Amino acid sequence: MTDTTSILGYAWPMVVSPGEEVAFHLSSPSVSKADAAVVRVRCGDPDPAGPGIRAHEMAAPFERTVSLVHQVIRPGSCAIVADAPALTSFQSFTVGAFLWPTMPGDRAQTILSRWREDTQEGWRLGLDADGHLEFVVAAGGRTWRVVTGAALLSREWVLAGASWDAEAGRLAVMVRSADAQAGRDRSECVEAPGPTGLEWPAAVPLVIAAQASDGGGELFDGFYDGKIDRPRLHASVQPIDGLHRLCESMNFPMTDARLIAAWDFSRGMAGESVTDLSAHHLHGRVRQMPTRGMTGANWDGSTDRWTDCPEQYGAIHFHSDDMADAEWEPTLRFTVPAEWRSGFYALRLRADTGDEPVESFVAFFVRAELGKPRSRLAFVASTGTFLAYANSALRLDQVHAEAMLEGVLTLSRDDVYIQEHREVGLSTYDTHADGSGWSISSARRPILNMRPRGNVFNYGNDTHFIDWLEETGQDYDVITDDDIHRHGVQVLAPYTCVVTGSHPEYISREVWEAFDAYQRSGGRHMYLGGNGFYWRIAYHPTVPHTIEMRRGMTGLRTWEGEAGETALAFTGEPSSTWRSNGRPPQRLVGVGFDGQVFTHSSPYRWLDGAKDPVLSWLTAGIDLAAPLGDFGLRGNGAAGVEIDRVDWSLGSPPGTVWLATADRLGYGGTPAPEEIRTLHRGVMGDQNAQVRADLVYFPTANGGAVFSTGSIAWVCALSHAGYRNNVSQLTGNVLKRFLDPAPL
Amino acid sequence: MLVTYPEAAHWPIDPDRLDLVEEFRRQPRGPHGDELQKLLHRLRWAGDPDQPGRYVLIVTQPGKEWMLGRLPRQRGRPIELMRNHVFTSIAEAEWEVFKLRWEAVTGRTLPPHLSEKLV
Repeated sequence: MTDTTSILGYAWPMVVSPGEEVAFHLSSPSVSKADAAVVRVRCGDPDPAGPGIRAHEMAAPFERTVSLVHQVIRPGSCAIVADAPALTSFQSFTVGAFLWPTMPGDRAQTILSRWREDTQEGWRLGLDADGHLEFVVAAGGRTWRVVTGAALLSREWVLAGASWDAEAGRLAVMVRSADAQAGRDRSECVEAPGPTGLEWPAAVPLVIAAQASDGGGELFDGFYDGKIDRPRLHASVQPIDGLHRLCESMNFPMTDARLIAAWDFSRGMAGESVTDLSAHHLHGRVRQMPTRGMTGANWDGSTDRWTDCPEQYGAIHFHSDDMADAEWEPTLRFTVPAEWRSGFYALRLRADTGDEPVESFVAFFVRAELGKPRSRLAFVASTGTFLAYANSALRLDQVHAEAMLEGVLTLSRDDVYIQEHREVGLSTYDTHADGSGWSISSARRPILNMRPRGNVFNYGNDTHFIDWLEETGQDYDVITDDDIHRHGVQVLAPYTCVVTGSHPEYISREVWEAFDAYQRSGGRHMYLGGNGFYWRIAYHPTVPHTIEMRRGMTGLRTWEGEAGETALAFTGEPSSTWRSNGRPPQRLVGVGFDGQVFTHSSPYRWLDGAKDPVLSWLTAGIDLAAPLGDFGLRGNGAAGVEIDRVDWSLGSPPGTVWLATADRLGYGGTPAPEEIRTLHRGVMGDQNAQVRADLVYFPTANGGAVFSTGSIAWVCALSHAGYRNNVSQLTGNVLKRFLDPAPL
Repeated sequence: MLVTYPEAAHWPIDPDRLDLVEEFRRQPRGPHGDELQKLLHRLRWAGDPDQPGRYVLIVTQPGKEWMLGRLPRQRGRPIELMRNHVFTSIAEAEWEVFKLRWEAVTGRTLPPHLSEKLV
C-alpha cells in the first residue's frame, strides 16, 4: 500500500507560465527528508486495467532532497478588528447582535469578544457548552459570569446581547426570540453581580465569531457556527429594547459618542473587510472566508438576491471548519524553464520510512502562455471543476452515497486521511459540520483528489485523454478554466480546436461566454465528457484559484442552500444551474445533463445521422453496425457515469446531427431532478428513454463545429485494446478534421 | 435545510427470502431483479446501523486488493481497518458485506450453503 498522505502540500500559484516561479508549500508530521522531482503527467490513474500511472520526470532545477517540517492548518472563520483606543475607552457597555446559531450545545462558542483566552481577561459574549447565552468579564484574576436558563435553538433567529453596568456592579445577558411562540420562545433577561471597575487587557483584537487565543493577534479559538447579523457595541447600559433598536438601526447619528461600533456585513460582500458604521471606523477583516451574502434576521422574502436589497443580507455565516488558506510557509521554489511544454505537472515526493513507501504528488499546471500557442490544439484543464470537487468527502458523509454508487464504497488512502483530517477543508459537494453547504473552495491548501494516484474522478479521468494524445503522437497545449475566466476568448482563439474533458461541470459566466464566442468565430470544440457546463460559479475578484457556488433550488444537489441565498457573494450573480440561468448546456454543446448511471456503462448505437456520406470523415474506419464503446474502464462502456442528451426544447441547435445514442441503460439510469415535472413510477432508465447519452456533431458559424459525447466514461475507454478501438478511432477522426482549417 | 435521513429506507425484509440471497450470490454486481434491488437499497441506505460504522472497502492495491473497514458516522473519527478481511475482487467483497448485513438485519444465520466465501 503506497502512503500518499504522510507528505502533503500545495503549489502556489496553481497555474504558472513557463518562466514564472512556483512555490510548493509542503508539510509532513513524520517524514523529515524526501526526494522531490517534477513530473509531467501523462496518466494519473493507477488502475492496472488501464495505462497505469505514467509520468515523465523533468530535469529539476532544484536540490532534490527537501527537508520537511510539520505545518498545521488552522480552520475556523471569524472577523477580526485590530485593537484601537476606542475599544478600551469605556467601562459600562452593551454588546449584541442577531444570531442564527447552527450548533448550539455542541461546545462553547464565542460570538463577540475582546478576550484573551490564555490569560482569561477581557469580555466575551458566547454560547456555553450547553448552548446557553453566556457573558463573561474578567480581569486581575477575577471572573464574573451570567448565563441564560434556556439553551438557544438551532436555526432560529434571536436577538442576543449582554451589558455590564460598572456603576451598579451588575451584568446582564438577554435574549429575544424572533418567533416567540409554539415552543420556540427563548426570550429571557438574566442579571448577576459584576465588577464595579475593570482594567481591560492591552493589545487584544475584538473578534467576532471567535476569541483571541493569546496576545499575538494571530491565533483564535472558540469558533462559532451560525449566522451573525448587525453586531453592535455601545458604551452604555441598555435594556433589551435599547439593544434591539441599536441592532435594527442602519443609520447612526455621529452625535452619539457612546456608539463604539456598528458593523454592517452587507458592505463589501465579495471582499475580506467588514465595515463599521460608527465614527470610530473599527473596520475588520475576515479570515478563512466565511459565507457572506446571507439572509439577515430582517430578510422578508421580497427578493432572493442580495444585490436587490443588501440591507436584508447583513449576516455572515461563520463556520468552525471554514478553511480557505492553509497559510503554510513555502518549502521549495523554482522557476519553470521557458522551454517546458504546457501540461499537467506535479511535484512528486518520495520517502522510504520503513513500513511502506511514501509517494505523494502536489499538482500544478503549466499553461500555454497567453498569445503564444505552441500547438493548434488546446486541452482545457477543468480547474473550476477540480476546485469544486477539491477534497470531496461526499462518500464519507452522505447517507445516499452507497445507494447512488450501487455498491460498497471503495475508499482510497486519501479518503481515509480526509475522514480524520477535516482541517484540509472540503469541497462544494460537502456540508460543513453544522450541515450547511460548503460554497467556497480554494487552492491554498492540499487538494488530495487533484493529483496522480488520487481518486480518479475529474483529474484522473482527464489524464486518460492526455495519455491518448501522447500515445497518438498528437501535440497539444494545456490551458485552464482559470485563465479562460480571466482573459476570455483570447485564451481559446489561437487554437483551431479546443477539447474539454470528462466533466467540465463548473463554469463561470466569463468561461461560458468565451466558449460561445470561440464557437461563433469558427472555433472547433470537442466536448468529451458528461454533465458539462452545468453549474454557474464565480471566481473570487482578487484571490486567485478560489471559486464560489451556491446550490439553489434545482439541479442534482448534495445539499440545498437556504431560501434567499442563491446569489453569489463574490459577484452578486445568481448561481445554481446554467439551465435555470437560461443557458441549458444543450445550447452551447448540443447535449445537456439528464442522468446518472453507476450500475454499468453502455455502448452507443449509431443512428441514421451518422450515415450521411457528408460525414464520412467522421465515421471512417468504423463499423456502424457494431456497438460503439462496449468497453472501458468506467463500468465497461463508453456511455455512463454522468450522461447528457439532445433536447430540442432546451436549445440543441436545429443543425445538430444526432450521431449515436445509449438509451437502454436499465434500472441504474437515474434522471436528474430537473428532468422531472411531477412524480410517477416511470422515471428510471429501464422505462424512460430520456435517460440516455447522446453523441452529436453540429457546425457553427464561420466554419466552426462542436462534437460532444455526453458521457464521463468516454475518455476512459480510449486506451482499450491497445488504443485500437472505435472510441479511439472516432475521437481521432474528429480531431483530425477539427484540426484541418478548411471550414466545416 | 434538505436532510437525507438514514432511516428512510424501510422496505420490509423477509428473512425467509433466501432466494434473494442466492440471486445476489450468483451476481453480486448485478443486474438484479426488482425485489433484490429493493433489498439492496435498504441495506445500502441504512449503512449498518447495528455497527459502529458503515462497512466500506479500502483500496490496498488499486484494481487488485481491498480491505474491509468501518467508516464511523461521526466525521473526524478514524476509519477502522479490518486487516483480517482482505479481498482480491470487488464481487467477493460485496458478497461478504451482504452476508454480514443480511444476518444483522434478519437476526438469522445463513445456512451453510449460503455462508461460504465466493469462489
